[in-house]
Parts: sequence; C-alpha cells; structure tokens
Amino acid sequence: MHKLWGFGTCLKTPSFFDTERDSRIDFFSLFNMVLAVRNLRKVYKTNKTSFVAVDDVSFDLAPGEILGLLGPNGAGKTTTIQLLLSTLKPTSGSIHYFGKDFFKYRSEILNDVVFASTYVSLPYTLTVSQNLDIFGRLYGISGKELVTRIDPLLDRFGLLDKKKNRVATLSAGQVTRLMLVKAFMVRPKIVLLDEPTASLDPDIAQEVCQFVLEQRDTHGTSILITSHNMTEVSELCDRVLFLKNGKIIADDLPDRLARSVSRCRMQLVIVDGVKRTQAVADMLQMPYRLDHKMIEITLDESEIANLLQNLAARAVVYTSIAIIQPTLEDYFLKMVGKKI
Amino acid sequence: MMGRIWALFLRYMYQFLKPDQFSEFFYWPAIDIFLWGMTSVWIQHQDPGSHLAAAILTGLIFWQILWRASFEITMSLLQEFWNRNLVNLFSTPLKLHEWIFSLLFLGSVKIVISLLFGSLFVYILYSLNVFSLGWIFLPYAALLMLSGWFIGFLAAGIMICYGQRTQSLAWMTAYLFAPFSAVFYPVEVLPTWAQKIAYCLPTTYVFEGMRQLLLTQLFSWQPILMSLGLNVLYLGASITFFVVMFEKSRNKGLSRLE
Repeated sequence: MHKLWGFGTCLKTPSFFDTERDSRIDFFSLFNMVLAVRNLRKVYKTNKTSFVAVDDVSFDLAPGEILGLLGPNGAGKTTTIQLLLSTLKPTSGSIHYFGKDFFKYRSEILNDVVFASTYVSLPYTLTVSQNLDIFGRLYGISGKELVTRIDPLLDRFGLLDKKKNRVATLSAGQVTRLMLVKAFMVRPKIVLLDEPTASLDPDIAQEVCQFVLEQRDTHGTSILITSHNMTEVSELCDRVLFLKNGKIIADDLPDRLARSVSRCRMQLVIVDGVKRTQAVADMLQMPYRLDHKMIEITLDESEIANLLQNLAARAVVYTSIAIIQPTLEDYFLKMVGKKI
Repeated sequence: MMGRIWALFLRYMYQFLKPDQFSEFFYWPAIDIFLWGMTSVWIQHQDPGSHLAAAILTGLIFWQILWRASFEITMSLLQEFWNRNLVNLFSTPLKLHEWIFSLLFLGSVKIVISLLFGSLFVYILYSLNVFSLGWIFLPYAALLMLSGWFIGFLAAGIMICYGQRTQSLAWMTAYLFAPFSAVFYPVEVLPTWAQKIAYCLPTTYVFEGMRQLLLTQLFSWQPILMSLGLNVLYLGASITFFVVMFEKSRNKGLSRLE
C-alpha cells in the first residue's frame, strides 16, 4: 500500500488508488472519488476569541468505501459532517462530490447524499409513514414507488408494524432505526452516518452494521461514519481518519492504527515457575505485569514463539494462555492521552 | 421544485390536522370574536345609529388574517426547532426559496380557512355578513396577508439566527404593529409621532380604507395602492433579511438551533 495525500492512506478496496501523490492526483481525486475534501477549515469567532473546530482537513472517499471518522469529543467529527451537508458554512476549503463543487451544486448533489444521526429527530406528532412520505417527496420519491422502497426497509429494521404510529411513541432506538430507513430509502450513493448505533441494543446495532455492509456490497454505497464504538468501526470501516483538535492526525487501516501504538499482550496463568517466567521476560526485555499467578507480558507477535520456547526450556507450567491483539480502542485511548 | 414545495406543504398540513393544532386554530379566533363581538354589541346598544360594532368586528376578523399570516411563518419555523428537524430538512435537496414558497402557500390556504371560519362565526353570532360589501373585501384581505408575511419573515429572520431564546417573537411581533395600524380606531386618534409611524405601515391603509368603506360606503383605490406598494417593498426587504439571517445562522451551524 502506498501513501495518498500524505496521510498514509491505505485502502482495502481498488488498487488503482494506490498511487503516489503527484501533480495529477488532485485532478484524479476530484473526479474519481465520490467525495474530495480539501483544506476544509471552520473557525468560530466570538467578540474576543476564535476557536478552530476543523483545521485544514483534507480527505477522499472512494466509491464503495466505508470511512470511519474517529476522535474524542470536540475533535470536530460532527462539525465535519455538518460541513459536508452544508448545514454549516466552512470558513475556507472546498468540498467536491462526484467531481462537482458542493457549494455550487448543493441541491443536485444532495439527491444522492443522505444523512442519519442519533442526534436529530423527526416531527414527533407525525406518524412514521407521514414522515417517510414527506422525506420521500423531498427526494422526488412518492406513491407506490415509495411504498415499495420503505416497506422492506421498515421490515428489516423491525418497524413495519409501527408505520401508523406517531414518532413520539417510538423508543430512542426505534427513532434511530427510522432515521436509517429515511436515509436508505433514497438509495443514495453516499451516506453520512453520525453515531448511527449510539442508542441501539447490541443485537440491533449488529444488524445495522450488517445492513450497512450489505448496502456497500450490493449497491456500492460509500459511507462516512462517526462512532464511539471501536469494535464496530474496526469491523465496518475500510479506513479510519482520526481527528484531534480539528486536525486529521492519522489516516490508515483500523488494524494498522491499532498496531501503531500498542503491541500484543500475552496472559499466562502459571502453575509452576512464576519467578522463572519473570526471569525469561527480563532476559528478553519484555515488559510484564504480575497479578498473583497471572502474568501479562507485552511483546511483538513475532516474539511469541521465542518466548514460549524459553518458557518450555525452563520447565514453566501454565494452565491457560491468551494472546490479546491491540485494538482500535487502544489506539483511541493512546491518542486521547489515557492509559491503556 | 414543485414536488419539494408540496412535500413541505404536506409536512405542515399533517401537523395542522392533528387534533391539538386543529382545535387551537379555531379556538383563539372564536374566543376573540365572542369577546370583542359582545363588547361591540354593547357599544352598539349605547349608540344604535353608529356603525361602530361592524367596524370593530370587521377589524377583528381582518386582524386575524394578518396575525395568522405572520404566525404561520414563525410557528412553522418553531415547529422545526422543537422537532429537531431543521438539519434533517436542510440536508435534503430542499432550497431555501422552496421552503419560503411552501410557507406562503400554506399561509394562503390556512388564511382562507381562517377567514371563512371567522366570517361564518360572526354571521352565526351577530348576523353580520362581512361579505355584504361584495368581493371588494378580497383585496383588503390579500394586502393584510402580505403584511402578515412581511412581519412573519422579519420575526423568523431573528429567530433563525438567535434560536429558541427569541421564540416569543412568534406571538409578539405582529402585535407590535397593531397599535400603529389603526385596527379598531382611526389614525387621527393617535399622537402625531405615532401617526407618522402609522402612515409608513401598509396595514394602516387597509384598516382605514376598510373603515371608510363600512362607514361611508365609499370605495377608494388610493389606500389599496399605497398599501400594495409598501407591502411589496417591505415583503421584499423582510424576505431578503430572512435569507441573510439564514446564511448568518448557517455560518454558526443550524444544528445549534435544535
């Protein structure tokens, strides 16, 4: 994998993106990526102070790619999404969808770009079907076509029997699912999801993730997603952007990000030879933590075999062994400055 | 474009047809007509020869048109605040002018309903037929609707920028114009400084012209044309103000309003 845009971009998807940055890349990105963001900046100014919420952010979204936007609270994730929807005006920078300038072709572009969030709602005195009727019409879908689109989606998200119910009677999780129906009924080319599973039970969240993957696989939908669920992001996303203080500080594959800050941890429950195990760890210069009979050794994957051989040579007896791979959560905690 | 305007019209009509909104739409005008109507009847009994009661009642019904036109715009905006739906709406292909057109269309339909209801209620209670002057009242009603819209967009412009803390403007703004509009009394009773303000308002010419018509049966185009000119000017200015304030609000982010 090669770098794209100097962020260490790596894509699981098409190989034609694996191009070194050169003078042609801007043109290439602008017209081949479904979304190209360049030097996006948002500064909030008050009387005496100014706050940079998004600071010179540039990235691309490829066709059929699922891109995760991660970062601690206040990092600029939701602000970035708002800028990408034009519900917030940028201070500077450019946004191109499908090669077209978003600021010039906003309405046309938004026919193919939809948004769903846990943090917005729908008119609560209207019924589910009334809401979907209104939003369907805003995208030019109505009548039988709308019904044929929404019924399978409502069924998929367990809301078909709620069609005549007012939104006010739905639970928070059901409203979130309704927002997803509203988004995907349009059959969009790009979906911007802001914390789509935040209020969902784990089984429903899993179902939503499965659905998102299906949409990508069957329709080639590109998805930009923000989430605090690191497991979910790892499973879903082809690539992750990590934002901190409004800046992109990392742009890479989820597992590569995880490995970039943390090594494996091997946990052994020792029956005989705790001191000998400590000696081996010291000898191999591997940090460890001892808790009664359980020892946790931090090491690289390539060192596992060497460690086990040394333990066997010293007749260390253990009853259980567990190898814990670094996760995106480790990366997240490291980046926000908390101890892993 | 028409599809999106229709979509928003439906959005507000669905809301309007809910029992709480539907009953409120008729409740307040009915109470106003009853209270002021009875007051007028009492005044009429004191001076049977005057047209005072008819003037007050007609003023009341026509004031409802202005207030309703203004309130529909501001209330529709508030509904989006309260429903946390503003970001939803403006992250669709919807354009701002389509939203404005939908509000004007919605306002027109609701005003016709409101006018018909008010007139029928007045006829039932007081045997006063506001249509007895013929269809000449229609231009007056249309002019008041335009005035209501300019007041509505003025208030909505402030609300879209400063959010829910200014929501009381939805109810208040139209009433700010009432004392100067000569709704129930002639302009001459106002102090001189207030008369100057009154003659700058399109509403004054409507209520004065209407009263003249009721009391003297003399119709004049002059107040209608004056009102039309001012309305076109003010409505254009207030819609421009709303668009500018919307852009200013977008600069701060629409999501903060929810």
